[in-house]
Amino acid sequence: MNATYLAGDLRALRAAGRMSLRQLRRYPTNLLGTIFWPVLLPAVWVLMGQAYSGGGEPAALDAFASRAGTTGVTLFVFVGYLMYMWLSALLWGPGTALRQEQIRGSLEAVFLTPVSRLVPLFGPTLTNFVWIAMDLVVMGLAAWLLFGVVLSVQGMLLAAAITLIGVPAMYAMGALFGAGVLRFGEIGPAVQFTRGGLSMLCGITFPIAMLPSWAQAAASAMPPTYIVDAMRGALLRSATVADLVPAAASLIGLAAAFAILAVVVFRWLEASARRSGMLGRY
Amino acid sequence: MGELRAAIAIARKDIRNVSRYRFVVASQIFTPLYQGVLPALLFGASFAVAGHVVGLEKTIGTTDLTGFIFLGGVMSGLVATAFWAMAMSIRNEMEAGTLEPTWLTPTSREVIVLGRALGGLFWFAFSQVAIFAIGIAFFGLRFRPEIVYALPAVVLAIVAMIGIAYLLAAVVLLIKEANFFIDCTNFLFATASGAAFPVVLLPGVLQPIAYALPTTYAMDLIRQAGLGSRPLFDPALEYVALVLTTAIAFPIGLWAYRRADRRIRRLGTINQY
Repeated sequence: MNATYLAGDLRALRAAGRMSLRQLRRYPTNLLGTIFWPVLLPAVWVLMGQAYSGGGEPAALDAFASRAGTTGVTLFVFVGYLMYMWLSALLWGPGTALRQEQIRGSLEAVFLTPVSRLVPLFGPTLTNFVWIAMDLVVMGLAAWLLFGVVLSVQGMLLAAAITLIGVPAMYAMGALFGAGVLRFGEIGPAVQFTRGGLSMLCGITFPIAMLPSWAQAAASAMPPTYIVDAMRGALLRSATVADLVPAAASLIGLAAAFAILAVVVFRWLEASARRSGMLGRY
Repeated sequence: MGELRAAIAIARKDIRNVSRYRFVVASQIFTPLYQGVLPALLFGASFAVAGHVVGLEKTIGTTDLTGFIFLGGVMSGLVATAFWAMAMSIRNEMEAGTLEPTWLTPTSREVIVLGRALGGLFWFAFSQVAIFAIGIAFFGLRFRPEIVYALPAVVLAIVAMIGIAYLLAAVVLLIKEANFFIDCTNFLFATASGAAFPVVLLPGVLQPIAYALPTTYAMDLIRQAGLGSRPLFDPALEYVALVLTTAIAFPIGLWAYRRADRRIRRLGTINQY
């Protein structure tokens, strides 16, 4: 019986993935975003870095290195923005998928089907993997072609490895957030808030050393902090596999914690939404 | 008179709509803070030597990082208001299925964007007052008294952006799914206006585009008046350029909007999305 349900859920998940692919195909201009944002966002911050450093004044760069551990401002920013793109895809993905169904009036119909709730939450976002991979490639090329930053092979392999290890923790965090739609409806500002908060905490655009100590402590409970730091270690500070083991262990632990929390919160909010009739309201 | 009442009614409706969502109201203030101002401040401060951003002084002639960033936020906010609140909100009506009834009212189509401009500018002013209050209270934000000389530049920039909003609304009416278009052009427009960094740092091929935007001159005039930063050109010349680019942007935007309106009515695509 359980195997039958599981097979049905997998079919539904595939159908939801196909639906999202079909929608992507219908609006091809949206695909341009996979090139536009990963290039332009970090490029602007690199130019801001040039403005703040007076075009690379040694004293200003030394000050940056004392806080960030590197004078490589360009790569520092690009790695941070790789995480930002990933966060965007994750936070906008599951939450927005539910919200769109809500606005179109189809969320109730979807929830009346016998499939697992994980299907409407994750099905439409299966395509995110494709975009994350594309972001990696596009940003690597942009850093090289626009700013002349050449990445080491070992660094790229280790960065890819830490990305894969971080996937479960990041998806669990995204699911926890997506559940919020059931309670709050309009998810846009919450996405902005969460993404902004995580960007601030996790050292995406500036060194964590700039934060007060309580914020640094909060950052240590967030998966992106470990991923960004490990990637910068691999690409900017020639870290070895052994250097990255503690970060990988932390990510696995955080994945388990966030996944359990996401399941509990989603069930609670779904029950609350059914009771209050929030599913159909917007 | 009727058109004015309609514009005010649209503005009131938009203000009421936004105020219904508490998170949206809070985000008007906090999103620019935590997405733009604070990260930029901390990033800029990470280059500071003994508390002074010496690099910024070399670039624009002042070490006032806080003022530079907060004033950049004003221009980013104005641009975002034109792109999202004035132009893109037409798309929201499309999705909700209320664009046709709106189009069928005897109100002129131009008023529909103008009403949104009023509503958007209300929230823009609301958020800027709150952001500046936070800046003054927590980040040591201070301006020179001469900043009042920049008020005409702000007013002209608002007029110019309403013209740009007409142009963008025309695009939204024609391409319908305009989210990506608005998002990208909003970002590019604010960047090319010098909101995040001086336009002299832009690659050479992009600088002529920056100098064709009214907001570039408004941004520079505001920073020059408020912070005493080194201007791009003589301020009098910048005012002339601002007036000129505004005088060009507004009629072009209006013309494009009227053409788009005629086209969608002729093709019967107003209800498509």
